Amino acid sequence: MTSSKTIVLRSSDGATFEVDEAVALHSLMIKHRIETGGADSTTIDVPEVTGNTLSKVIEYCKKHVEAPNSDDLKSFDTDFVKVDQAVLCHLAKASYYMNIKGLLDLSSKTIADMFKGKTVEQIRETFHIKNDFTPEEEEELRKENSWNLFV
Amino acid sequence: MATRSLNMLPEDCISAIVSLTSPPDTCRLMLASSSLRSAAESDLVWSRFLPSDLPQLLSRAHTQLGFRSKKELFFQLCDSILIDGGVSCFTLNKVSGKKSFLLSARALSISLSNEPNHWTWTTHSTSRFSEVIELKTISNLEIKGRIGTQDLSPNTTYGAYLIIKVSDHAFGLDSIPSETSISKDECAVTNTTYLCPMDEQKQQLGSLFFMNRRQMMEKRVVEGDGRRPSKRGDGWLEVELGEFFVGGKGEMVKMNLMEVKGHQLKGGLIIEGIEVRPKC
Repeated sequence: MTSSKTIVLRSSDGATFEVDEAVALHSLMIKHRIETGGADSTTIDVPEVTGNTLSKVIEYCKKHVEAPNSDDLKSFDTDFVKVDQAVLCHLAKASYYMNIKGLLDLSSKTIADMFKGKTVEQIRETFHIKNDFTPEEEEELRKENSWNLFV
Repeated sequence: MATRSLNMLPEDCISAIVSLTSPPDTCRLMLASSSLRSAAESDLVWSRFLPSDLPQLLSRAHTQLGFRSKKELFFQLCDSILIDGGVSCFTLNKVSGKKSFLLSARALSISLSNEPNHWTWTTHSTSRFSEVIELKTISNLEIKGRIGTQDLSPNTTYGAYLIIKVSDHAFGLDSIPSETSISKDECAVTNTTYLCPMDEQKQQLGSLFFMNRRQMMEKRVVEGDGRRPSKRGDGWLEVELGEFFVGGKGEMVKMNLMEVKGHQLKGGLIIEGIEVRPKC
């Protein structure tokens, strides 16, 4: 006898997704919300996550809940994070708030790998970061870091 | 329009990501923007780069360390600290975060080191330590050091180096090569070394007049490379004793330099200690 209970997840922009309870419980945040009850515990709001990201997060949870021991799980994960840095950051944020450790570790490691071995300019370019230091502040920081060969 | 996507992440989330990189990468991230700087300077990040046995290490420090952040502590440790009552020195590598130790002459076991006829305890202006030991005259040279692998960084190959100077009035140090050995788990790896740097002129003269004698002496010791000391950046010389790998479990590693087969008097060797540091 399998439980076919479903949960509806609602994103910040009002998109709704119906998922099996087992898949939804992969998020410890949702698990906690369900366990602590509430009048309407079959629809759960996830205001920190947009519809596009939530859809991807659900895809991740489905794969990991329904086929946790499959041989292609590693390659699924590798392909899953072959996305641009903006999507990656959205996934990291979503997995942080929804408390999905596997996805948080995966997206964190991918972002960390994108930082490694890059110069400051390359980091700013990859992540569209604005340099908000004054020239004096920047000079001071560079002096402190002169041991770091390719600052 | 470019979105500042990293900034949507909570700061402790960014710190957790940065902690997966390395100290140099983290310092570069600090230059990217003020919000990245704040995340990268967090104790959350620098705790990951500090050794896992930090409390034990700090309890061995010779003087109490003052630090306002884990980052500050990291760089203080990179600058070397004296430990174990000042007889050893600990350093963290800035780039890799791996540990190195320098055991002073006092931390080693040197045969007859307390006999003033043979050895003199003295000071040297360029030594890290308050004392170095100088050889007056001895027939048998036995220098032994030990270190537990639990004190070192795991999954790393370490080299052990005897740090020396050769005084102007040195004699007999290279009449026969010295034997070096590294042993772990009852398994020893041996080699041979000379204590004086290579001197071209002397080498040629030596070959001319003493070739037979040299060959005879070399036969007395174990097979080896007959290494020579190399110059260090701090003005001292170093003689490699060997290398070993630090795996999972804690083991005692013995690092020795012995010359007991020549029965020739020697003197003028100054020892600072044995350095144990990761090989690249």
